[in-house]
Amino acid sequence: MSEEAPLGGLTAETDAVSHERHQIGLTPIFAAFFWLGVTSFGGNTAAWLYNRIVQRRRWVNDSEFLSDMALGRLMPGSGGVNLTAQVGQRLRGGAGAAAAVGALLSGPLVIVVALAAAYTRIGQSAVAHAIMDGIAAAGIGFTFATGLKLLPSEPARVGPLAVTLATVLCVGILRWPMLPVVLCLAPVSIGLALARPRIGR
Amino acid sequence: MVDDFRTLLALVLVFVPLSLLSIGGGASLLADMEHQSVSVHGWTTPREFADLFAISRAAPGPGTMLSTLIGWKAAGWAGAITATVALYLPSSLLVFCVARLWGRWRGSVWHSAVERGLAPVAGGLMLSGGIAVLRVSPGGPAVWVAAVIATVLLLRWPRLHPLVLFAASGALFGLVGLW
Repeated sequence: MSEEAPLGGLTAETDAVSHERHQIGLTPIFAAFFWLGVTSFGGNTAAWLYNRIVQRRRWVNDSEFLSDMALGRLMPGSGGVNLTAQVGQRLRGGAGAAAAVGALLSGPLVIVVALAAAYTRIGQSAVAHAIMDGIAAAGIGFTFATGLKLLPSEPARVGPLAVTLATVLCVGILRWPMLPVVLCLAPVSIGLALARPRIGR
Repeated sequence: MVDDFRTLLALVLVFVPLSLLSIGGGASLLADMEHQSVSVHGWTTPREFADLFAISRAAPGPGTMLSTLIGWKAAGWAGAITATVALYLPSSLLVFCVARLWGRWRGSVWHSAVERGLAPVAGGLMLSGGIAVLRVSPGGPAVWVAAVIATVLLLRWPRLHPLVLFAASGALFGLVGLW
């Protein structure tokens, strides 16, 4: 039990969450993230993590995933690895984070070096480049499909949807720098969340 | 032996600061890695750097595994492991500490509002990432069309394993390339 006692008044909920989470052992965490690492083609670790860990295994929910993803992008380093560290932390504290990040990176480390060693033979081939284009195209589609699935969906959620569209417009289409855009939109969005009553979970 | 150690030390001194200063992820990392490994340390030629970048894009895992390859080019397997740890460990520790502190407020009104407020921004960043990759993709209109088809298929059949789609798309492009 690496979790320390939470601050006063929050004991019941935090205990319930950590109790439920601690049933996931380090071995399943390592196995899941190792498999995630070696199969996450296309460069979008977050979309793969959503598919494998959130949708398939249901270890964390949509809103936990999204807030971890946002924080992971705001902090220095790789967004996908930051997200993995946070999800691992949610699952099993420090050991969970270490297992998840180590597992995520160890497979690709070996694969990418093996590919580089083989590159002199296959690298010049036009077919290899065409195959890589095809994989990249599927990766882009995977990213879009994941982003669209995560759109705020309930009715009367015009505010969150507007925030999502504003983010896409500023960062995706106008190509403004991500950090200032997020630092402007996030407070607005948090204010909206404070103002509206909490709908379910 | 001493030279090997010097190279490993140089890798640490390049990648640890990058790990802690590169806010904004892949794109901002890439420019700095290019500068350090080509101009400052001469670990790769510009041509080799471009090749390694292409390889890192083809491999599974985070897009920034290019750092592993730079380490490998500079000092073999020891370099690959050193560069990987140096790039990912400091930032992971930092985000872990922040997440741990943040978790102490779980259950408060603010905690919930911040998490729910960040969610739509994160969704927008995900979609923006897709647009950014589409924009720099060298494949042209065929990639655009295939990306749209892949999006529709995945939304229509949520149980479709993405790897099936990746393999099919790669095979299709490869066949067209052969032909």
